[in-house]
Amino acid sequence: MSHATVLDAAPPQAPVLAPGLDAGAIEEQVLAAPLWGATRPRGGWWLLFLLFGSGALLLATTVTITVLKGIGMWGNNIPVAWAYAIINFVWWIGIGHAGTFISAFLLLLNQRWRASVNRIAEAMTIFALVNAGLFPVLHLGRPWFAYWLLPYPTRMTLWPQYKSALPWDLAAISTYFTVSLLFWYLGMVPDLATARDRAPTLLKRRVYGVLALGWRGAASHWHRYRVVYLLLAGLAAPLVVSVHSVVSLDFAITQLPGWHSTIFPPYFVIGALYSGFAMVLILLIPVRHTYRLQGVITERHLEALGTILLVMGWLMAYSYVTESFIGWYSGNVFERYALLVERPTGPYAVVFWVMLACNCVTPQLFWSRRLRRSEPVLFGASLLILVGMWLERFTIIVTSLNRDFLPSSWHLYVPTWVDWSILAGSVGLFGTLFLLFLRYVPLAAVSELKELAHELHGAPHEAQAEEARRA
Amino acid sequence: MPALFPPRTTPLARAMAFGLGLLVIALPVGLMWWVRQPPVTGQGRTAAQPVAAFSHRLHTRFRIDCRFCHAGAERAADAGLPATTMCVPCHEPVWLSGREFAAVRQSLRTARPIAWNRVNRVPDYVFFNHAIHVNKGVGCETCHGRVDRMDLAHQAAPLTMGWCLDCHQDPAKQLRPVSAVTEMGYRPARPQAELGPELARAYHVRPLTDCTTCHR
Amino acid sequence: MSGAHPQEDGHRPRGPEFPPGADQPPEGMSRRAFLELMGAALALAGASGCFRQPREKILPYVVQPELTPGVPRYYATAMELDGYATGLLVESHDGRPTKVEGNPDHPASIGAAGLWAQASVLGLYDPMRPRSLRRNGRRAAWGMLAQALAPAALAARAGARGAGLHLLLEPTGSPLTAALLARLRARFPDARVHWDAGGNAGGVYHGTALAFGRPLQPHYDFAAADVVVVLDADPFGAEPNALRWAREAASRRDPEARTGMSRVWVAEPTPTPTGMYADHRLRVRAGDVGALAMDLLAALVALGTSVTAARELAAALRARAAAGGDAPWNPAWVRGAAADLHAAAGRGIVIAGTHQPGDVQAAAHLLNHLLGNTGRTVWYTEPVLPEVADAARAAATAGAPTPPGAATLAQAIEAGAVDTLMILGGNPALTAPAELGLPRALARVRQVVQLAAYRDETTAAVGAGGDHWFVPAAHYLERWGDGRAWDGTPALVQPLVQPLHGGHDAAELVALLAGERSTVHELLRAEWRGRAGAAGFDGWWDAALRRGVCGTAAPRVAPPAARLETVAGMLDRLRPAPGGALEAVLRPDAKVHDGRFANNAWLQEMPAPLTTLSWDQAALVSPATARRLGLVSGDVVRLDVSGAAGGRALEVPVLVTPGQADDCLALPLGYGRRGEDERLARGVGVDGYALRTAATAASGIVPGVGLARTGAHRDLVLTQHHWSLLDRAEEIVPSAAEAGAQHATPPAPRRQLTIFQPVQPQGADQWAMTIDLARCTGCSACVVACQAENNVPVVGREEVGKGREMHWLRIDRYTRDGSDAADAADAAGSLDDPDFALQPMLCQHCEKAPCEYVCPVAATMHSADGLNEMIYNRCVGTRFCSNNCPYKVRRFNWFDYNGEVAATEALAKNPDVTVRGRGVMEKCTFCVQRIREHQIARELGQAPPPVLTACQQACPTEAIRFGSLTDPASPVHGGRESPRAFSALAELGTAPRVRYLAQRRNPSPLMRPAPGGAA
Repeated sequence: MSHATVLDAAPPQAPVLAPGLDAGAIEEQVLAAPLWGATRPRGGWWLLFLLFGSGALLLATTVTITVLKGIGMWGNNIPVAWAYAIINFVWWIGIGHAGTFISAFLLLLNQRWRASVNRIAEAMTIFALVNAGLFPVLHLGRPWFAYWLLPYPTRMTLWPQYKSALPWDLAAISTYFTVSLLFWYLGMVPDLATARDRAPTLLKRRVYGVLALGWRGAASHWHRYRVVYLLLAGLAAPLVVSVHSVVSLDFAITQLPGWHSTIFPPYFVIGALYSGFAMVLILLIPVRHTYRLQGVITERHLEALGTILLVMGWLMAYSYVTESFIGWYSGNVFERYALLVERPTGPYAVVFWVMLACNCVTPQLFWSRRLRRSEPVLFGASLLILVGMWLERFTIIVTSLNRDFLPSSWHLYVPTWVDWSILAGSVGLFGTLFLLFLRYVPLAAVSELKELAHELHGAPHEAQAEEARRA
Repeated sequence: MPALFPPRTTPLARAMAFGLGLLVIALPVGLMWWVRQPPVTGQGRTAAQPVAAFSHRLHTRFRIDCRFCHAGAERAADAGLPATTMCVPCHEPVWLSGREFAAVRQSLRTARPIAWNRVNRVPDYVFFNHAIHVNKGVGCETCHGRVDRMDLAHQAAPLTMGWCLDCHQDPAKQLRPVSAVTEMGYRPARPQAELGPELARAYHVRPLTDCTTCHR
Repeated sequence: MSGAHPQEDGHRPRGPEFPPGADQPPEGMSRRAFLELMGAALALAGASGCFRQPREKILPYVVQPELTPGVPRYYATAMELDGYATGLLVESHDGRPTKVEGNPDHPASIGAAGLWAQASVLGLYDPMRPRSLRRNGRRAAWGMLAQALAPAALAARAGARGAGLHLLLEPTGSPLTAALLARLRARFPDARVHWDAGGNAGGVYHGTALAFGRPLQPHYDFAAADVVVVLDADPFGAEPNALRWAREAASRRDPEARTGMSRVWVAEPTPTPTGMYADHRLRVRAGDVGALAMDLLAALVALGTSVTAARELAAALRARAAAGGDAPWNPAWVRGAAADLHAAAGRGIVIAGTHQPGDVQAAAHLLNHLLGNTGRTVWYTEPVLPEVADAARAAATAGAPTPPGAATLAQAIEAGAVDTLMILGGNPALTAPAELGLPRALARVRQVVQLAAYRDETTAAVGAGGDHWFVPAAHYLERWGDGRAWDGTPALVQPLVQPLHGGHDAAELVALLAGERSTVHELLRAEWRGRAGAAGFDGWWDAALRRGVCGTAAPRVAPPAARLETVAGMLDRLRPAPGGALEAVLRPDAKVHDGRFANNAWLQEMPAPLTTLSWDQAALVSPATARRLGLVSGDVVRLDVSGAAGGRALEVPVLVTPGQADDCLALPLGYGRRGEDERLARGVGVDGYALRTAATAASGIVPGVGLARTGAHRDLVLTQHHWSLLDRAEEIVPSAAEAGAQHATPPAPRRQLTIFQPVQPQGADQWAMTIDLARCTGCSACVVACQAENNVPVVGREEVGKGREMHWLRIDRYTRDGSDAADAADAAGSLDDPDFALQPMLCQHCEKAPCEYVCPVAATMHSADGLNEMIYNRCVGTRFCSNNCPYKVRRFNWFDYNGEVAATEALAKNPDVTVRGRGVMEKCTFCVQRIREHQIARELGQAPPPVLTACQQACPTEAIRFGSLTDPASPVHGGRESPRAFSALAELGTAPRVRYLAQRRNPSPLMRPAPGGAA
């Protein structure tokens, strides 16, 4: 089956897997980092680790300051009661989406090329969610009472207020995080086993041994593994859609011009995937180089992702147009002002226009196949798109809040150094976690790749692979 | 190649997996149980007082009505504590003698108050009003317990919000005739099920669960 | 057991007049203990519930007094300002005064209390108040001072007749002080008294003295006046009798009033609360008001108002009327006002500001005389401040403006005639015209005794050399005394607490000089026993204390013949200044007055009426002038006055303000304070007094001011940056006409559009509020009243600048025109002659509250009786509610604003309201604590008075009405169903319980209809 789907899909396309790359080679390449610590430009790794690590420390410091002194340390005010914390939250959640999408959807849709990128994408999801999870708690006036959003029998005989979107938000995110984690880990188990078997030192063997949960590659294992993996994929797929839809309700259920809109759920999900794929590219391209994985992560992957960005870019543009059109069509003075006056001409107009440039103009590059395959272009464009998506959340949140119904309450929002530090810090934390992942975890699904290799380059390697598994 | 782990690790691993699952359930449940226990709510807690020998038991035995000393209970939010001079008339005979009265003598001599330790405390954001409860037939005993069996008073009720609401949602079951509010060990003349609602009607008592009933 | 206040405090009580803890010696251990105790107990109020509850002490009395602990009591007293007393009722919690209300029985209050009275509680507890009496900077004892001032000692130095003894007092109507001064003069005939005030208390007498030959106290009945012409006066805002006058005028601003709407013509240089009532408001430079008055007079004569016994004058006036023309203002205004006055002869009022030159005020009096208003809507009594009046008469006969007491004092010092100087009031070193060189002179006086609330500029000037004493003044809530209202009604001042920091007061010191050693309490009783008669005096005394009023108004006097001949002279003197010449108007500030309230955080933080300037001061300029000079708000300019005293300069930021007269800068006084104790006031604004000269001190009108841009810019802290309503007037604050139009369209179909069921009210009460915008003057008394009642924290300049002010109630102000002032650098052309719209904005207590359904933890809920409840202790601070509140009336505790409140300041907190901690949302609760106490009292079978919210109770014009919709007798129903009634942002379907009555103007048919408000 997959033979056809993969190869004959589009003849001129680059192959999903470099020809002549056999199972052994795959293991060599993918497991190089975790087992032999062979991150060849070592210095580079340490440099990045230092950079992002210090970012993570900055985050820790500024979060501590915020918790000790109060969120007055931020620039928030009345009317702009939500700002960076929520922007960052939505941004990270969005980024987190691509991982599960790639793993779950593409698996269900039988897109075999995902095999070489899904691990990295899933890791990205987990780390993005770690960041995203931080902000809803941090932005509370009294974070130590965050557990009041949980439904449990209190001494006060009070329950959360379910008409609000926030308790559902909490539920959605925690569910999503749990499933993603399981999905990621489950997918890793066979590779961890392989790592265990091929690890050079006893310690590493022991550690990977524990993590492998006693995987022996028995047929029964593979059977259950496939079933559960598919089940989780089926479970995760709807979550990809639901989570950001619920997040979008944090805004859509209000009556604030600029938030009060029915298109928010799809609009947010698209935006999320958009930023997610951009982030995947940003991670893949350097990894591909550093770890010499051009064979595993081929131009085919880059091109596919580039195409996705192009499509998503248009979907975003469509959303923006719809949003503004409805604002005008409503005939409501407040809606019209918010969407047609405040955004394009208000004090934050710059943000709005830069956002449009980043999100709608940038992807047009990918009409050209050459650019779709050019790493620098893809990398740069992805960066721009990530910035653009952050600005989009800024536009939605700050630009809507700072001028709503009564001109008497209009007031500008100016971020403080703490706001900026927390944003930079969260990026630092993400980077740090990802670097650790590269170093200690098989960064691609070895087992799946070997299957793929088997399907693509025929049987000869079968025996080899088998014995490798037995060893 | 030797086995990484000896065979007995298998049951251990299983046990750990099981234990982990159990912990996930047990920890929150345990916490919820614990915060309802006296050590946390303060139920049954007492406090040392400057007049260590003071005994509610003794005073009630002399048929002294609660309101004789806690005069505010009927007309104000605060029940209040008696002024030092309240002690004098009755205690005149044994006045000068007695070490246990040192604090009282001191207070009279220096005109400085006796610093009692509060026993029944609700948080600062709770605005409790004695008068309205006492005048609507909520007995002292209902919240403060059998004071006639205490020497130094101790906190008889958990004083948690759930405990307050239990009565605020259905007051009838706790009402008694106003004439009997200070009575200790009160027994309703007729079954509370029928007496309660009657009293509620008579005193215009209705469930009060607006937040601002207590929080302002 | 409301934890927010300590159970009881343990001190020997002396009956209700002396609250517990009040009778300890000032330096005594126990008083400090008292403060610490209160402080500590209140500090607990901030802490929210946690597992380990703090151990609390209960301190019962030693001897039970006649009061129930925890039950607040009210005492009648009076606050004197600018010489006139206003009666107050002060709430006391277990001996702590916590809230000031107006005294309904007092003629100058009739139940209302202004800004300064409301904020005075915080002044009492100001931790920066000096705590000890000092001699040459070192702590000293009252006894030492008493010795130094013993008559014998004085006689020895100042001469047997006390020639060297000089006193500087603020004007006061206090009968006691008058009597004591008389006795002092009997003892020392040559002792001299100088009357001095930051304001211009003598001005009013100057006017009457010119008009009638002798000083009189003018009175007006605004309730009876059909036409009111205001010439640069602020009778509904700043005048001492403003509370009463505003209420009377308000009764005629209500279109539904039986007596019909009055028509108000206001000519003023800078917007005032009075200006907000104007049907036709004329922007005119203060210096030109006199000429305007002359034009008005001329126009009236032209209309046929007879000027008996002055034929040639009449001719001159007719000539002027005929000539007309050259004046820089719209002649239609003059003609219209004249026509109205003429038509309403005997039912009109012309009033000129007491800070205007005597000529102008005299002109106003003469106009009333000619129109036959005198004796009907205007009448006169003998002066309430006789001694000030005498000074004014002297000046009037001399044809000069009334010299400030500081001037006469300075001369005396120059002449070396001053041996002992008693500064018993005021802050002359700050307020005296600079060229007098008073500060330097003061340092040369051998013995100076200064009585003041703070060690201020004068203390610094006096210095620590020679024999210089500083005596901390008692707050009016700490002392006995008496005073008289504008109408002469006397009232007693009784203390709520013993002086917290051992303060003394003027009467005490004057008595000391006169050789009387008895306490003020005794002196006061003696004085009033003399007046009320010894028979049954104790009964009389108690009644007087209870009522807060101890006599009747002064009897009317028939004014002597008006001296019309003076007008001839005026015609020459009063000419409009040449256009383009810049004029500065220096008047006491609406917030800190003459500077005495500069250390009061509530007032400093309060958004100034109309400008919404907070923690800041600026020179107001009109948009046109700003365009001409190329200025935008915040530009720092250099103002300088050449001429007398060689010219002085001042650098101050400008604020472009619609409604300001062109070529006229309004610079409020009382800022730029340098007092040693007043650390809060330091660095706020600049000292406007520096620009005044002896000649301009009284009027505060400084012509020919030079203005130069410095290039510097200061970001002024405003709480409202935008003037324009854009195209939203109908949704937010429609004019009466627009509101009527809305009612014309039946609301029924709109209802059917909603998918929600209409709210079914349960509960006996259904609380609601009605705010009549036709009555609101924007005076902002309600804002401070709310702050005092609800423990609203102060956040300081930086936080307000970030948009984090905490006021539960704000006064939104707009101009009715399309363009957006703020975006056009505050200088959109259409704002030159604006039609202002005011709108007090507070929680609307929506029946369908958007805030409620977005709160994840049910911290804001709806009560059965229609309140939108906010439960601080449940709030986790998501701020989702604020985002979804279309009125943006919710406030958030970004920091622990109550964390570092001084122990004394904590005493000002209201124990019936939770003191909010960090990270929780808060907002207007309709004063739910008052509602619940009312309901409890009702349930206990008492008959409590109707619930008044703090804002409603403070409002002088009764613009705010509150009550239960289920109570047909409640004032809340007033006009609630009238065509003027509207809900803000009604189309959102929030169904607010606050309903507004649209503002309605009463334009003259002779004028083009005033924009907006016309109907």
